[in-house]
Amino acid sequence: MADSKRINKEDTGRLLDEWSKEFSVSVPSRENGMPAMLPWDGKDTSFLEWYRNTVIPPKANFFPPYEKMFDFQKGAEGYHLELPPSDKQKQLIFGIRPCDARALTILDTVFQDTYQDPYYLSRRANTVLVGLGCTNPYDSCFCTSLGISPGESTDVDLMFTDTGDGFFIEPVSDKGRELLAATGGLEDGLEADEARAKDVKEAAYRKITRRIDTGDIQQRLAACFENQDYWEKVAAKCVSCGICTFLCPTCYCFDINDELSQDEGTRFRSWDSCSFPIYTRMPMENPRQEKWRRVRQKVCHKYWFYPVNLDITACTGCGRCIRLCPVNWDITQTLNNLPASS
Amino acid sequence: MEQRLRSEVKALLEQGKIDRVIGFEPGSLKFTTTPLITSDGGDVDHLVINPFIVNNLSVYLTGTSGRVGIVAKGCDSRSIVSLIQDNKVLRENVVIIGIPCSGVIDLTKVERLAGKDRDELDDIVRQGDKITVTVGGERKEFPASEVLFDNCLGCEFPTPREYDILLDEPVTPTPDKAISEQKLDSLREMPPEQRWQFWKEEFSRCIRCYACRNVCPACFCERCFVEESEPQWVLPVPRWQDNLIFQVIRSIHVAGRCTDCGECERACPVNIPLRSLTREMCNLAEELFNYKVGIDKEAPPLFVAYELEEAEDLIR
Ligand code: SF4
Ligand code: SF4
Ligand code: SF4
Ligand code: SF4
Repeated sequence: MADSKRINKEDTGRLLDEWSKEFSVSVPSRENGMPAMLPWDGKDTSFLEWYRNTVIPPKANFFPPYEKMFDFQKGAEGYHLELPPSDKQKQLIFGIRPCDARALTILDTVFQDTYQDPYYLSRRANTVLVGLGCTNPYDSCFCTSLGISPGESTDVDLMFTDTGDGFFIEPVSDKGRELLAATGGLEDGLEADEARAKDVKEAAYRKITRRIDTGDIQQRLAACFENQDYWEKVAAKCVSCGICTFLCPTCYCFDINDELSQDEGTRFRSWDSCSFPIYTRMPMENPRQEKWRRVRQKVCHKYWFYPVNLDITACTGCGRCIRLCPVNWDITQTLNNLPASS
Repeated sequence: MEQRLRSEVKALLEQGKIDRVIGFEPGSLKFTTTPLITSDGGDVDHLVINPFIVNNLSVYLTGTSGRVGIVAKGCDSRSIVSLIQDNKVLRENVVIIGIPCSGVIDLTKVERLAGKDRDELDDIVRQGDKITVTVGGERKEFPASEVLFDNCLGCEFPTPREYDILLDEPVTPTPDKAISEQKLDSLREMPPEQRWQFWKEEFSRCIRCYACRNVCPACFCERCFVEESEPQWVLPVPRWQDNLIFQVIRSIHVAGRCTDCGECERACPVNIPLRSLTREMCNLAEELFNYKVGIDKEAPPLFVAYELEEAEDLIR
């Protein structure tokens, strides 16, 4: 590829250093044993050794677990609102996985649907995504069933592929091309690198063995929607916590709360989950009192309602919901065992 | 044990002595198990017992109707007793199938020792006090004391005392408080400011997924205080202050009910050392009230009973 580049692994720190001059750079970090995309400390590149994927999905860099929406004061004329200063800082996320980059493409559809969400969208606009293809996927990964390959570059600006001693770097978007043009000290990619990168991507693809059958999935879900026995059976062990939704890179539900003192206060939004029995209790009641309805909702939303409304499946096969669930509830089993009818 | 378990459960179901069973079946990932809740005799052959049966299944009892057979390790059986004491479960509605337990393997410890993730390990085999981990064809041996859960290492009651069926001979308890409470000891040694800083940092990571609460059999409130909006005790916003208050109140609410099963800490996706709080609650219940949880199903729950002479010490 004409405009591709290459870099030796030991020069990664230098590259991140250079980017840090213009961007606030985040990299995979496991400070306190909780892998997440966190600000780079300017030295540590050990993530190149251990990083497979993060526990906290990179959606948190755009849609954090909680954020202030605005402050408000009650005055004689009504309420005065003060928005937090908009975050102009340009960010660069280094090492985002293909599934998590796809998740942002999925989230974009909802945050810029009828309502343009300024908080999420401004961060999105300010951010460059530098992808890093997977070479060692988890046993819980099933991205290939969702049309994503572990070496996929579609949803990032710049793509890195591990070629052993170094990385093969491909620009993907205009943003990525510009960044690459402005970055000094990179060698041109060689044909051998490109060939090697292709092999690496194919090998990673073959490593993924967990699969779901997505053929006619909407019809199949519709056919067993009323099958209470099935949903009760698959939901039995779920404890209705927030792990599989909070840590799903495509789940976007949030709750809004005010912290009040006398005539002023702050409005926050924070992650919410359709797994919780009290979900939507505030504006009305939760129409899904029974657990099996909530589990059914989670599955159908991702694989049926979301595609119908926004034309994209809201699951990337990242496997976090399987890997992190305290009772090993497994969405691939639920989908693969769907009964043919009610 | 596994064969005996399956035949016992089959018989219980056939004779109509239970309507359903709660046990473990193989999980969908390497070295995991998953809860199996079923009334279908055909599922019984999936039941397993191995060193990876992490969950405290008694958490399902309050939500399961009818007569229930339940597979219980030592700590789980004490949770059941505690639920009986709190009138959440009726003794005659449960058939406790006890497992004399020699401890459950903490995969996080194995991963750390082996330098590889769970799914990269070829095999983990337990033989008595040794655990052999095979990685890339190479075998590494570790003493059980390095790979079992901290709470298992301090367990005083590995064999259920309350049971209907005991699947094997009782195991001799070998609690080692020092190893089991290593983390807690390092916290005890910290000056208060440092300890405050420690918890502040830990709770900054909490995302309020409530997995700790939802896997806990002692957290049986139908409406948790965090969900009250009038008054609003804490905001659902996961700021460290609110997170800490949530966890401190939860710890106090489970005091006298917590059996140190360790599930809250294991379930936490962001590795907050919750057991350092809940274990301390167990220690306090013992020190202050000479109360061990889940030992006597006839006894009133710790915070329900009150002796006049306690007034002197406790309420000042
Ligand atoms: S993480 Fe597991 S237990 Fe928690 S809500 Fe999801 S499926 Fe249920
Ligand atoms: S549903 Fe599960 S596998 Fe799919 S994107 Fe969400 S966390 Fe990942
Ligand atoms: S499990 Fe961990 S992250 Fe979740 S609410 Fe409990 S302490 Fe917080
Ligand atoms: S507080 Fe934690 S250790 Fe105690 S019973 Fe509940 S889950 Fe088990």
